[in-house]
Amino acid sequence: MKNIRSGITFGIIGGMLTFLFGGWSVAIIGSLMGVGLGMGISGKLERKEPLKIILAVLPTALVAAVILVLLSLYQNNFVQHAIGKRPAADKIVLYGNLIGFFGTILFTTLLAALHGLPEKQEQKWRMVLLTLLVIAFPFVDKLTALRWTAQIIFALIFVILGLGLNIVVGYAGLLDLGYAAFFAIGAYTTGILSSPQHGIFMNFWLVIWIAAAMAAIWGFMLGAPTLPLRGDYLAIVTLGFGEIVPVLFKNLIDVTIKEPFTCWILPGLLKLFGAQTTMACITLMEHEDLTAGEKGISPIGRPYLPFIGEFKSSDPIPWYFLIIAIIILSVFIIRRLRDSRLGRSWMAIREDELAAAQMGIDPVKTKLAAFAMGATFSGFAGAFYAAYIAGIFPSVFDFSASIIILCVVILGGIGNINGVIVGGLVIMTADRLFLPALKDFLASLLTHTVLPSISDPVVQLAVKDNANPILYRFLLFGLTLVIMMAVRPEGLIPNAQVRAELHPDETPAIEVETPTSKKAKKG
Amino acid sequence: METTRKKFNWRRFAIASLVLYIVFLIGPVVGLDIPVVYAAIKANPLQLVQFLIIGISNGAIIAIIALGYTMVYGIIELINFAHGDVYMIGVFTSLTVLSLTGTLESKDPVKIVFGLILALIVSVVFCAVLNATIERLAYRRLRNAPRLAPLISAIGMSFIIENIGLMWAAQAWLVPSFGTTGGASQKVFPDMLGILFTSLGWDVNLLASSGIALRLTIKDVIVIVLAVALMTGLYLFVQRTRLGKAMRATAQNRDAAKMLGIDIDWVITATFLIGGGLAGAAGLMAGLYNNTAWWFMGFRAGLQSFTAAVLGGIGNITGGMLGGFLIGLLASFSDGYLNARWTNALVFATLVLILLFRPTGLLGEQTGQKA
Repeated sequence: MKNIRSGITFGIIGGMLTFLFGGWSVAIIGSLMGVGLGMGISGKLERKEPLKIILAVLPTALVAAVILVLLSLYQNNFVQHAIGKRPAADKIVLYGNLIGFFGTILFTTLLAALHGLPEKQEQKWRMVLLTLLVIAFPFVDKLTALRWTAQIIFALIFVILGLGLNIVVGYAGLLDLGYAAFFAIGAYTTGILSSPQHGIFMNFWLVIWIAAAMAAIWGFMLGAPTLPLRGDYLAIVTLGFGEIVPVLFKNLIDVTIKEPFTCWILPGLLKLFGAQTTMACITLMEHEDLTAGEKGISPIGRPYLPFIGEFKSSDPIPWYFLIIAIIILSVFIIRRLRDSRLGRSWMAIREDELAAAQMGIDPVKTKLAAFAMGATFSGFAGAFYAAYIAGIFPSVFDFSASIIILCVVILGGIGNINGVIVGGLVIMTADRLFLPALKDFLASLLTHTVLPSISDPVVQLAVKDNANPILYRFLLFGLTLVIMMAVRPEGLIPNAQVRAELHPDETPAIEVETPTSKKAKKG
Repeated sequence: METTRKKFNWRRFAIASLVLYIVFLIGPVVGLDIPVVYAAIKANPLQLVQFLIIGISNGAIIAIIALGYTMVYGIIELINFAHGDVYMIGVFTSLTVLSLTGTLESKDPVKIVFGLILALIVSVVFCAVLNATIERLAYRRLRNAPRLAPLISAIGMSFIIENIGLMWAAQAWLVPSFGTTGGASQKVFPDMLGILFTSLGWDVNLLASSGIALRLTIKDVIVIVLAVALMTGLYLFVQRTRLGKAMRATAQNRDAAKMLGIDIDWVITATFLIGGGLAGAAGLMAGLYNNTAWWFMGFRAGLQSFTAAVLGGIGNITGGMLGGFLIGLLASFSDGYLNARWTNALVFATLVLILLFRPTGLLGEQTGQKA
């Protein structure tokens, strides 16, 4: 019964989403919904033979699929009129809904059926399935002309950022509110080293490593003086750095660096004693424009691969696979780090700094390592971002970017890699796909249906001005943080240890200690 | 004891000289060009006094906001990130009240005075209630959670309120001068005090007749007097009244205070009410003094005030006042002699330096430095 209820919820959410996108979207939404539903309910089922499981979840899958298709058909026949658009072509409606219907049922039952296998095999096959989906997604997207891939790439950039911040916030327990600064450093390193504005053209494959190293060095340099501070002081100081760095990049347009001793300290002293100075002033830079201020650096060199050629902005597929490759690499490295001696000392510091220090862990060094490692990954993300957008502007990296990355980590689950990936996808698809689509939807709904029925021009204008969901972005991010903290501070997909810490009365401590239970929870 | 005193801290000395060298090296990039600044001061020494006046007035406003941070931190050890944004809401509330009562268009001194008093009352009450509501919704249930949880919740609240301010600044039907350009741009807060005193026939600049090339306006005097009155009132309240005593007790030891029959929830709510009310008053004062209203102004004010609170010694009310004036002066000199765009960076550098070298602030500790 409970499963049927989640089937209904999924069906309604999926169906509502088709309201915004229309056309072929029902096929993709149906399939993705099936995956989510299958993974969601399989955790609650007992391990049985796959066939029995399929029979058990079939009603749920059917309910979800029927609701999805009904809502999608309603969208096509009624909602399209209300927003002043013509219904899609019959062929698209027929095939889209058929694929959506069977996609939902197929993926729900398939993923649930995998639960019938032994645990190791279940995970293996699940990974195979997800890999196939990830590979297939951009091609399906291209076929259906939905143009989601370009936005999904943004989501994936934030997944990497989230993974990096997760090291700092999730593993080491340090609240970093200026993480976007490292993102900016990575992006600007790439921009300066591979843009015609400075006459330096470095290969992207080299620059991405330099950017990561640069971010790590800055993470080290900014962390070294601040990390002895206590939790909330550290938060506000990192916030300061996050605020200063974009300002710096905005204003480094006329840089003159003169070595102080030779330029005015010694001459000044000599002058004081009445001596004439003939010393040469060492000038490192004179009136150089490093970052081009608000205009930003553009264009920026693109990656090049044999067989594929230079990556273009018109074709997102190579970019998609590049970022997927970076994510896989990052996840691999972060997993190894997490289970290494260093990773375990991060968690020890997070749990109890005093006790960890007593056990011989150097808190400052360990925290510094977390800071630098976290910054490294945002360096990767920054380099990719700069090359992908082919232009960087200081306003992208302000405080709100840091908070969005924090949202990704908090929503997904502090300290859990899978959680952060899910969180990044949810937050950024909401921000990049859902909100703009909702804006268009509301705007056309208002002009065609609502506004003509309002007679008062003042109310009309007020309604029209305020019905723009993009204006409420910050509200949504803020609400995400507040609600998650109040209701589910451990995130959607929690890390077992964090969860135990946040709910000391609920989870027995012994369950946390065993590695098997940790694995089972991670799924 | 003696050996520790005699031992010279080489590490600290090395760090300090390194920092000093870097400041000299990179300083000019961020406008901190000491020879240039020196020449500017030498050329016009009177300007220094002018910046001092501006700094003290702005510092008074910063000090009032800083009190809200320091009181809340003293009681529940939480950086109330949303506090700066409550102040921003105070600016918008008073502007809206002035607009709705028709004060903005009026030239009648009596009407302006009544409008301003009404705006002060409404702004104080609204911000007080808003701040207490934030506490009730976002912090209360996290009081015993790990430290990061209420902090993250506070950041979320700050974002929510900033967004409310952004929406508010777009409502031209409330305040016609907001215009139709949307909420993101800076809005004008009309110079009501200037209009008031011009209509009374007074010169706004008190030093106009004396022949000194300085501007000490009535606005400066009003802001400073009002700020000092509020601070004195708060100080007396905390030191003399029963509720103030309960606050101090709760700040010292929450559990012990509870055992002695103090209603902790009410004390904390009262703290937030007072802090919010002060922020509301500061909002009106800042609007009248600086003549701008902007949805993002709470962020900068919040950072400066928090730095002020830390500089004075967080949790320490007198320290908050002192820190406010100092940061106001720093910001004013930085705006004047360096460059306004680097002021935030400079304030932050100050914050980092205080936290590193004297984490208890100038006036000492009220709350212990726990790990």
